[in-house]
Amino acid sequence: MSLPLVPLLAVVSVLLGGLACWRRRESTDPTATESPRHPASLRTDGGEERPDGGRRTDEDRRVSEERRTDGGERRADSGSESQMPVIGTLYGREHKTSKPYGLMRWLTSVDHKDIGILYLIFGLAAGMWGATDAMMIRTELFTPGTDVWNAETYNGLFTTHGLTMLFFFVTPVFTGLANYFLPLLIDAEDMAFPRINAIAFWLLPPSFVLVRAGLLTEVLAKVIDAVGPRVEFLYALEPPTMGWTLYTPLTTQLANPQVDLLLLGLHLSGLATIMGGVNIIVTIFTERGEGVSWSTLDILTWSLLTTSGLILFAFPVLGSAVLMLLFDRNFGTTFFAVEAGGPILWQHLFWFFGHPEVYILVLPAFGLTSQILPKFSGRKLFGFKFIVYSTLAIGVLSFGVWAHHMFATGMDPRLRASFMVVTLAIAVPSAVKTFNWMATIWNGNVKLEAPMQFLVGGIGLFVVGGVTGIFLASVPVDLVVHGTYYVVAHFHFIVVGIIAFSMFAASYYWYPLLTGRMYNKRLGTIHAVLSIVGVNVTFMPLFLVGLMGLPRRSAQYPVEFTLLQQVATVGAFILAASVGIWLFNMVNSFRTGPVVRTPDPWDLKESNQFSREWQWFERRMTEGLSNPQALADGGRVADGESDASNDAGSDAGAGDEDSDADADAEN
Amino acid sequence: MNRPLAAVAGGLSGTAALTVLLLLFEVETRSQIGMFDVVARFVGVPGSTTVGFVLFVAAGTLAWPLLFVAVEDSVPGSDPAIKGMGVGVLLWIPFLLLGRAELSGAIVFAFAGLTLVAHLAYGYITGAVYARLTGRTPSSGTLGDGSELQG
Ligand code: HEM
Ligand SMILES: [Cu+2]
Repeated sequence: MSLPLVPLLAVVSVLLGGLACWRRRESTDPTATESPRHPASLRTDGGEERPDGGRRTDEDRRVSEERRTDGGERRADSGSESQMPVIGTLYGREHKTSKPYGLMRWLTSVDHKDIGILYLIFGLAAGMWGATDAMMIRTELFTPGTDVWNAETYNGLFTTHGLTMLFFFVTPVFTGLANYFLPLLIDAEDMAFPRINAIAFWLLPPSFVLVRAGLLTEVLAKVIDAVGPRVEFLYALEPPTMGWTLYTPLTTQLANPQVDLLLLGLHLSGLATIMGGVNIIVTIFTERGEGVSWSTLDILTWSLLTTSGLILFAFPVLGSAVLMLLFDRNFGTTFFAVEAGGPILWQHLFWFFGHPEVYILVLPAFGLTSQILPKFSGRKLFGFKFIVYSTLAIGVLSFGVWAHHMFATGMDPRLRASFMVVTLAIAVPSAVKTFNWMATIWNGNVKLEAPMQFLVGGIGLFVVGGVTGIFLASVPVDLVVHGTYYVVAHFHFIVVGIIAFSMFAASYYWYPLLTGRMYNKRLGTIHAVLSIVGVNVTFMPLFLVGLMGLPRRSAQYPVEFTLLQQVATVGAFILAASVGIWLFNMVNSFRTGPVVRTPDPWDLKESNQFSREWQWFERRMTEGLSNPQALADGGRVADGESDASNDAGSDAGAGDEDSDADADAEN
Repeated sequence: MNRPLAAVAGGLSGTAALTVLLLLFEVETRSQIGMFDVVARFVGVPGSTTVGFVLFVAAGTLAWPLLFVAVEDSVPGSDPAIKGMGVGVLLWIPFLLLGRAELSGAIVFAFAGLTLVAHLAYGYITGAVYARLTGRTPSSGTLGDGSELQG
């Protein structure tokens, strides 16, 4: 037996150990095996008959909850708070529900909340990966020469960074939030098509794998290398290097087979996004609960509706264009050959999708900002109607501006001028929103909690990103700074400044609702401060670099840019540190954060803004505490549940059919 | 579960995460770092990557977690996961110094940052699994007076 087998054994034992652990936890899950109604009867410490005939007392609750939180053993150092039940979706497994437990719950769920969480976790993982790409870009740019990674790798990095961030980070995270909160906000039972919802999510991992296959096959190759022969073809896929805009003729000519996989992956992710969008539209139209009419729809729902409309019209264009490109590469069609449509045809098709896409990314962020800002300002959203109108206006106008990405291609100057005008016009609704936000805060009773810190910071950064966008929209300026770092700085003030910031704000704002615990507020504030500083330090210098004329997408640069580039790199590391703090806060607070016992952690009742998702949380909490076997996941109590709970032990096996039946009933 | 066993279980999960992260970073950086060689240098067998890797896994699963159990109570703080992150940093320093070898220039930042993340994850996961299995996960109270909700 040769040595290389040892790591293999190690991996296998890790898997087996993990499996054993998981099985063990599943089978000892107290609420799955004991009657929640008579916890005392199953006590492992002797189980004497109880004087009160087995009725629940505080002592019982203490005991059963104690088992629940720490895996069934008595704690030596138990503090009394630690036995508080936690009411949060992610704890669903600790309560008896009609869903399967453990891994199967996540693989088979059609519950909009579970799918929402899957989306969030997927988007988070992809975002981390894309951020690693960004850090490597910035590392390379620390010195003027091409000395950290070679030029090919650099090209691969900005390509995968852009694609990952746009298609696999932002879109899934917002779809996840939509999935989780839209039905709660419009008082719907679930999304209109729960199964399509699940399919839409499960298409994403394979499409992500296709887009980033090069690296993944290489991991596999390395693992096989370590234990056995070198498998050459696994090394054949190289990271794609043409930028996220996939411009032809470069994309048609690259020999790298990974490009084909990437095109297929993008097509697939487009399908997933369209399914998600259709589902959102139908849900809003048909699933609204009683008492939720068009006039009482909240602002986030309006944003999601508009976004989904954009998806419906924009993504099919991408899907078709990507297939045409694939055919050009593989089947000898000539859509984008110079003699035929030429590279300009690609640019028109791409940007007809591409510009609406940027609003697909940013409208949910606007929606979150409009939704959360009033809660921490103690006032209603100023000019609600105008924000709705401006959202719709942006939605329509965004299809009429695509050619502002092509000012430098030598198109007819009269066309150029008209696209410039429409582009300037679209700045108006965006400005309307910004002023409305400011007016909302004005004279408000501002509470500077972490979500608010991110919203205020985000609005400030968005102003910088937006104003520089107006400069880019004017043809003469664009001809000068086109393709320079100025553009990079402009759109990062938006993609990081308001899009990522609104996600952070949402993550803090809904943290109690999602996990039943509170995050660490001090870490939240540190995160906010570092992020705001980080964005400015990273991207401000890039405006200067761009104005001095340095083209983007290049691994090397003349030495006179060194200082500014190094400042930007330092800023990027600050941003990375702040994201690390956020991640730690989210994970650690999930383990040990204070248990939330009030349905209104943000005092929203005070300002009369206790919106529907928190009302839902309140119902769940009241039910959950008065009746611990009731559902922590918001699902419905299966018929006869309380009687059946005595044989709950056998329920794990029967769970699959149960949940199927239940899902059918809900559909 | 008894403490040493729990620590080893923690170490196993932590090492699994650490290994996966290092492998991902190795590939993501297009093998510029040479993570397997770094590991071999770190455990003191430069040149033989396989032996190095085995020793690395053994140390991560057995040696450090058991050492951790031995000193855990004398370290201030109540959350083993946080203490584990301390262990992670302590391990990262020699990893950085011994492993760096001929790397120089800006790539050292990437190397330092990525391996620090991996080691923090190792320490945190080891500590958290250990805390869960031994019932040592601390709590930081409750938020909001829920008395009116008690059924
Ligand atoms: C974490 C902080 C981030 C940093 C430090 C960063 C850094 C960079 C840099 C330096 C470039 C330019 C590369 C070049 O032109 O040579 C770039 C490109 C880009 N970034 Fe980011 N980025 C970050 C976050 C994001 C986010 C959150 C998004 C989207 C949601 C994003 C989307 C893009 C896109 C679309 C490109 C253009 C890619 C291309 O040229 O094909 N970035 N990023
Ligand atoms: Cu545009």
